[in-house]
Amino acid sequence: MMISKKHLPRRTFLRGVVGGAIALPLLDSMIPALTAATKTAATPKTRLGFMYVPHGAVMDKWTPATEGAGFEFTPILKPLEPFRNQLLVVTGLANKAAESQGDGGGDHARSAPSYLSGIHPLRTEGEDVRAGTTIDQIYAQKMGQDTPLPSLELGTEDTGLVGVCDVGYSCAYMNSIAWRTPTQPLPMEINPRVVFERLFGDGSTAADRLARKQEDRSILDSITGEVAHLQTGLGTRDRGKISDYLDNIREIERRIQMAEKRASLNVQVPETPIGVPDSFDEHAKLMYELQVLAFQAEITRVSTFMIARDLSQRTFPQIGVPEPHHSVSHHGNNPAMIAKLEKINVYHASLFAYFLQRLRATPDGDGNLLDHSMIMYGSSMSNPNEHNHFPLPLLVAGGACGKLQGDRHLKFPERTPMSNLLLGLLEKAGIEKGSLGDSTGMLTI
Amino acid sequence: MPLGAKRWPGFAFAATLIASLHAAPPSAQQAPNPRALLDQYCVTCHNEKAKTAGLMLDKLDVANVAPNAATWEKVVRKLRVGAMPPQGMPRPDRATMDSLAASIETSLDRAAAVAPNPGRPVLHRLNRTEYANAIRDLLALDVDPSAMLPTDDASFGFDNIASVLGVSPALLERYLLASAKISRLAVGDPKTDPITDTYRVRSDVTQNEHIEGLPFGTRGGVLIHHNFPLDGEYVIKVKLLKSTVDLLFGNNAQDQLLEIALNGERVQTLSINPKVQAPPPAPAADKSQKPKEGFDPAAATKLSMSQPKDNLEARVHVTAGPQTVTVAFVQRSYGPAQDLMQPLERSTFDPSDPKGLPHVLSVAISGPFNPSGSGDTPSRRKIFVCHPANPNEELPCAKKIISTLAREAYRRPASDTDLETLLSFYQTARNKDGFEAGIEMALRRILSDPQFVYRFERDPSSTPPDTSYRVSDLELASRLSFFLWSSIPDDELLDVAAQGKLHDHAVLEHQVRRMLADPRAESLVSNFADQWLYLRNLRGVNPDLESFPNFDDNLRQAFKRETELFFASIIQEDRSVIDLLDANYTFVNERLAKHYGIPNIYGSQFRRVSWPDDSPRRGLLGQGSILAVTSIATRTSPVQRGKWLLENVLGTPPNPPPANVPPLKENKSGDKQLSVRQRMEAHRASPACSGCHKVLDPLGFALENFDAVGQWRTVSESGDKIDASGVLADGTKVSGVADLRAALLSRPNVFAGTLTEKLLTYALGRGLEFYDMPAVRSVTLQAARDNYRFSSLILGIVESTPFQMRRSQEPDSAPATSVADIRRPNQQ
Repeated sequence: MMISKKHLPRRTFLRGVVGGAIALPLLDSMIPALTAATKTAATPKTRLGFMYVPHGAVMDKWTPATEGAGFEFTPILKPLEPFRNQLLVVTGLANKAAESQGDGGGDHARSAPSYLSGIHPLRTEGEDVRAGTTIDQIYAQKMGQDTPLPSLELGTEDTGLVGVCDVGYSCAYMNSIAWRTPTQPLPMEINPRVVFERLFGDGSTAADRLARKQEDRSILDSITGEVAHLQTGLGTRDRGKISDYLDNIREIERRIQMAEKRASLNVQVPETPIGVPDSFDEHAKLMYELQVLAFQAEITRVSTFMIARDLSQRTFPQIGVPEPHHSVSHHGNNPAMIAKLEKINVYHASLFAYFLQRLRATPDGDGNLLDHSMIMYGSSMSNPNEHNHFPLPLLVAGGACGKLQGDRHLKFPERTPMSNLLLGLLEKAGIEKGSLGDSTGMLTI
Repeated sequence: MPLGAKRWPGFAFAATLIASLHAAPPSAQQAPNPRALLDQYCVTCHNEKAKTAGLMLDKLDVANVAPNAATWEKVVRKLRVGAMPPQGMPRPDRATMDSLAASIETSLDRAAAVAPNPGRPVLHRLNRTEYANAIRDLLALDVDPSAMLPTDDASFGFDNIASVLGVSPALLERYLLASAKISRLAVGDPKTDPITDTYRVRSDVTQNEHIEGLPFGTRGGVLIHHNFPLDGEYVIKVKLLKSTVDLLFGNNAQDQLLEIALNGERVQTLSINPKVQAPPPAPAADKSQKPKEGFDPAAATKLSMSQPKDNLEARVHVTAGPQTVTVAFVQRSYGPAQDLMQPLERSTFDPSDPKGLPHVLSVAISGPFNPSGSGDTPSRRKIFVCHPANPNEELPCAKKIISTLAREAYRRPASDTDLETLLSFYQTARNKDGFEAGIEMALRRILSDPQFVYRFERDPSSTPPDTSYRVSDLELASRLSFFLWSSIPDDELLDVAAQGKLHDHAVLEHQVRRMLADPRAESLVSNFADQWLYLRNLRGVNPDLESFPNFDDNLRQAFKRETELFFASIIQEDRSVIDLLDANYTFVNERLAKHYGIPNIYGSQFRRVSWPDDSPRRGLLGQGSILAVTSIATRTSPVQRGKWLLENVLGTPPNPPPANVPPLKENKSGDKQLSVRQRMEAHRASPACSGCHKVLDPLGFALENFDAVGQWRTVSESGDKIDASGVLADGTKVSGVADLRAALLSRPNVFAGTLTEKLLTYALGRGLEFYDMPAVRSVTLQAARDNYRFSSLILGIVESTPFQMRRSQEPDSAPATSVADIRRPNQQ
């Protein structure tokens, strides 16, 4: 593994939580310097990231007036202007899979699971939760098999609250944008400390970590041997659950193998961050930092991040919005409320700009991480006041290893499926796929 | 026709909520002829030709309801809530509708008694609460599940629904890591590395006064339950809150002493500004400038300011095991912050307030350093039931330890195969690192096993397919312990089950009563009520600082504590569950008493107080917790309060709003400030909205005298006099919370029925189906005969068909109709 041998002391994560503006060199002590291992890597592989914001955007403050190069940055996109040359704004797309299609209300529940799959989720609270395999997982299954983690899923919001999911839909739908299979949503981890352990494992020395991995492996082997016996007397569905379990065990075994290979290199693990920070600003930036770290060390090449969950009750007093995000999003065309929603949109964009800045500041191979990344940012909704899913606020940042040209605003024919864009992104990342969900073709971007 | 449009009018009647959902059937001789009533009122639309909603009541045999029980349950539900026949069509009177429903219910219940269908729960994974409780009971070890496992998805209002508790690689990784960490901690692995655990105090905790649980004579601070892995030295680092200008918050307060105590004993006292030293006279930068004459306030300020530390540290020797660490300030009088005239309860309202007192921000515990042994911990006492005196005794002792652990963890006697597997893990590690390492490894293997993580229930090979059968006593023991304790069965319960006695009625009742009296039944409060009443959401309640400057975490915690103590008192005293709506007592401490306006309550500890007969605060509806979780940051939300009542008290959740409906307009500065009621009325003017809101709003408005943080008020946010009047869906006029409470109390069976459905959902870990409705009716009816005592509901559920029985695998399983479908009229 390519984590630095030089171990800097841990920075405080606790600084200045009370006020709004915070000095935040979050994880810089933890960002490892690159060893020769990555630098000599023949061709860097594109890191993919998919960022999700709920509740759409104030579209006329998002959409640039002109198409093509040299467009003028709108108020919401303004924080991203420093990245103009690696930024592509895509407009005119629709997420039809999130629309009612005869299922009635539930636009919030349908927004997250359809975002990266183009699949209309099944309306259910029970047995048969079903959506579609998401694009990040398609990439992970092809390109993530030689990294310790095929993918990383992050969030910021406590999903354990009750009564805040759309009626008729299991909360599972709203809690994740990453689905490993049509029936297996992946948990979005909100605790930076837990994410950190996933990235670096358990144990303080390389030998320790290796020994523990080997013990884990013998435990898993033994469980695998037991499964046939466990399945006796179970019905079809329960046997299915056990096979899922087995399938997951195989995945973990693969990860252990990968980690063992890397363990031979001396790894100095940076110090663990503490749990979930009080301040959203600090929390969001920390989650972005962890993605930078994971990309840089090639612990994974694909991440998904829910900056917030649909129906979010988060308030933003630090930017003058004391009302909850979801309430504000139903602005009722009241100009004062629209202005507040815009403030939230701008604020989220500025946090995303922080991520891009950290990627750009991180050397990777012959360039920097942003050169070798392709990060989509956007929402599954357009005007949240109407719960509509067209035209979507979407953009793509990064160089995709030279394959993606920035400084463009591309406008596509009205209601082009968003899944067409996802296919286009996959293609840039080196995967040819004929179709995805409700796609009708691939967008050439 | 768009679905939404079709559903809305339906809802209006659906929520004719005060209608009896669970009324007792009237006497048989008065029952009219069901067939005649159906023909008269229903088949006009629901016939073979019209097929309205796909329902053909002319073809269904009401004398033999069993073959179409799912349909009949829908019919009954619609009659009970008054959804059918629709308004505008000929409708029989209430009594006739009730008696028709009752007659169909009776037939359904009889059919269910003859051929019970208990349903077939899916393989159930422990959720993270259950996992942590199981670890607590298996190993006498408290762990923080949120730091170990991902959050579980919820459905039907609870996070223990088997069908949505999936697995993912991330979850499996967490299980593996958790079992390694937990085994190490429980056994007291001498090779444990030093680690740092940081405990953070929310920045909205007011620390000017004594906090419950902390030593007397202190103010503020934090109480931490920490597991010390080994006997040894530990470093406790305390950080203090900083103000926005990067100075210590409370910088001006001199001589603040911080006390660190272990299990109540002071171990160290630290001064945050040990010595006030006058700064050396600054060399004049410019000699030509003359020193100022007379008093220089800037210089004086400098002189009085020492350099307080925001970072304090103590190194202490601690013995292994769970210990209580408290960090708090020594209480001293400090005028500026403790002035009786202080304007706000919340001390950190202004983070740059120079009059503040220092606050603890975080406590980090690092160690062990120089460990001296595994010590004598509750976990070690629980695990090591024997101690080998020589190597020959090791294997027999290991067998004893491992089979005891495996029995509890797998919730059944350990088999030879189990032991063989576990002993091989023991042996490998034993040969490498000794006896205790062997036990640790075997324990790690147990905790990783699917038999620990899943609740297996198997069809006996002798059972034919698609047949209802009684679950085994051991399976019943697990159902019972996960229902009442959210945890594994204890020794006694396992013994009774292993002896095959648990299904015996008297034995079962004895066990249930024993379990309800056990401290572990606290999970019915912290897990069941926490979700049912939305107490869990309190942690996300952040009222707008400008509108509610007094709100702080102390109040948030007090809200939660009040309702938890209140609900616990219902269980412990086995009171009628109707008391939840109308009890004449509650629990408060000084902070909460002040908030409610109760005089003469002093101190941070909670105590029981009585309400006068006419108090608006009687029961849950007057509690800050409920009122705050149903408000938004800046104001009350009558809609959310109405929705909460519909879902959790009346059992008829509303449908989600259709798209395109703008919610309330917020007041703009400059405009005339409209009250919430005025804005709601504007909103309701739209016909698309009125259907629902004429049901929701009166419920919510009846609570308008309570503001968004549950304080009593007579004037609204916008300065108008509060008008809490309204007309409930059944025509009852109410003028506030007292009338609303009286209306709810007039139909106790509705509330008891809702609670039964919630408890049964939670007990079974699945959404209720049409075939569960006979059980719901029977539990509620039985409980009514015992004045709805809490234990009568619990016993009724435990003895019900779906709890006692299970259906064997069908050759081909088709999805069943859920209650959610039955409940929402005109959905299809």
